[in-house]
Amino acid sequence: MSTLLNVVRRNLKMFFKDKGMFFSSLITPIILLVLYATFLASVYRESFESALPEGMEISKKLLNGTVVSQLVSALLAVSCVTVSFCANLLMIQDKANNTISDFTVSPIGRATIGAGYYIASAVSTLIVTFTALIVCLLYLLTQGWFMSFTDVLWVILDVFLVTLFGTAVSSCVNYFLTTNGQASAVGTIVSAGYGFLCGAYMPISTFSSGLQKVLMFLPGTYGTSMLKNHLMGGVFREMESLGWPEEIVSSIMDGVDCNIYFFDKQVEVWQMELVVIGSIIFFTGLFVLFHIISKKHLRRS
Amino acid sequence: MEENVIKIEHLYKSYGAVKAVQDLSFVVKKGELFAFLGVNGAGKSTTISMICGQLAKDGGTIDVLGYDVSKNFSIVSRKLGVVFQGSVLDKKLSVKDNLRSRAALYGITGKAFEERLAELAKELDFESFLSRPLEKLSGGQKRRVDIARALFHKPEILILDEPTTGLDPQTRKLLWNVIEKKRQEDGLTVFLTTHYMEEAADADYIIILDAGQIAAQGTPLELKNKYAGDYVTLYNAEEEQIKKLDLPYTKIKDAVRIKIQDTASVTELIVKHPKLFTDYEVTKGKMDDVFLEVTGKALEGGMQ
Repeated sequence: MSTLLNVVRRNLKMFFKDKGMFFSSLITPIILLVLYATFLASVYRESFESALPEGMEISKKLLNGTVVSQLVSALLAVSCVTVSFCANLLMIQDKANNTISDFTVSPIGRATIGAGYYIASAVSTLIVTFTALIVCLLYLLTQGWFMSFTDVLWVILDVFLVTLFGTAVSSCVNYFLTTNGQASAVGTIVSAGYGFLCGAYMPISTFSSGLQKVLMFLPGTYGTSMLKNHLMGGVFREMESLGWPEEIVSSIMDGVDCNIYFFDKQVEVWQMELVVIGSIIFFTGLFVLFHIISKKHLRRS
Repeated sequence: MEENVIKIEHLYKSYGAVKAVQDLSFVVKKGELFAFLGVNGAGKSTTISMICGQLAKDGGTIDVLGYDVSKNFSIVSRKLGVVFQGSVLDKKLSVKDNLRSRAALYGITGKAFEERLAELAKELDFESFLSRPLEKLSGGQKRRVDIARALFHKPEILILDEPTTGLDPQTRKLLWNVIEKKRQEDGLTVFLTTHYMEEAADADYIIILDAGQIAAQGTPLELKNKYAGDYVTLYNAEEEQIKKLDLPYTKIKDAVRIKIQDTASVTELIVKHPKLFTDYEVTKGKMDDVFLEVTGKALEGGMQ
């Protein structure tokens, strides 16, 4: 156990001391913030206001609360996965630099080495994402706060789960990569692509129905949606308490992906949580399986 | 009877059509400085990787201290210290953090770690840069830390894969002094691959690998006697008289160097031509000559 803790400590130090790795993990959240600051915020505001039926008024606080909570949920959903991919780059770097040999010539088991990468990646990602969460909540507080204490607790759980999901997926993907070139290719694809795939940059509801059906099979979609549900739940409750018609609130929820449909059946939030938990178990199990197989078969070339 | 610490029998390894190691068999005895020579691609690193449990063998057996490496590597790994060709430590971490993380792999933590660190830092002279990141160190400083990492858990066998390539003579001397001390005091066995012939010449036993097979083996003296012969350097001798000897020679500054098969032949020659041998010296051939004779190839860095 103490050996594992020491491996985790070493991996954490490597992540935070390697400025390249640390800052590259923040690229996606920064891009999202820049996009938001330059035009997304006004686009969201305008499209939201124009979608409201004629004569319906919305306060500035509620409008800002809606737009900002949509943004921060997207930002957190993307960060949990892309940061974990960057944090897990150490696994590839160690192979590329042959540092892994220094571990494999020692008595430490390959499973411990794998667990060390997994735990360190999860911890470093959690540090970054929880820091981002605090900043996001503070920003929300200044723009339009409608969240309850329970909502905040749910969001904390969501960030935790989506981070573990990102760690499990990145561990499985990075396990097969051995060069820095491969690492940067995967990093670029994930950073650029994941935001679209999980509906963070643009709501899935705006995509074609064919693409929507494909995205329904990706667990990341549900991770983003559960974050949106908990971060925007207060906004919708406020709308209802102001007497907005249920159909309008429901159509807004459809538009921002709070309501997700698996084919025609609406997926409940607890079902989304189960999908994410199931995915964490599945990908973690797969990662463990890779190490069991590699333990039995030494490198052949 | 001397104890065999490494015993390799009929070892095979191929990468596709390339036969990296073919029917390799040898033993390394306890406390020995064992040198493994060969040009790049001869199979040295492949063999080391298999001894260190990093690479699966295609056939044969590897026993280290009586344990089959493929079955008992967790035991063997505690007895092995490895210095890789290039540094495999973490460049961003300090020397102390690097050694702390590696010592923990062997269960050395807390006070035991601090004590061993102080001991090695003094022996290898890196006390002054313990807190400096590895990336800020010179090649020689890094190598000292690499050796400390390999020796930290007091291994019985130290594997050195070209440990002094590119190092300044002072650092090379320091490293060899420390390793020699460990051999004398702790009975450390050293398995060395090197491009420096003067390092190989100090070995107790040498194996020359060529295309994955043993091309020659023996003590440096045996190899020199068998493959390099002796040289007589004659000073103030006239070339016309040398020609009459009908022996291969080369002219060097103020002297002529004659290649002789062995020392007995030199004695015979002196007795036969006493007037010619007024000012002379007899030297053994060098390991460079042995390597060239055995493989037909010059070893990179060998003439240094």
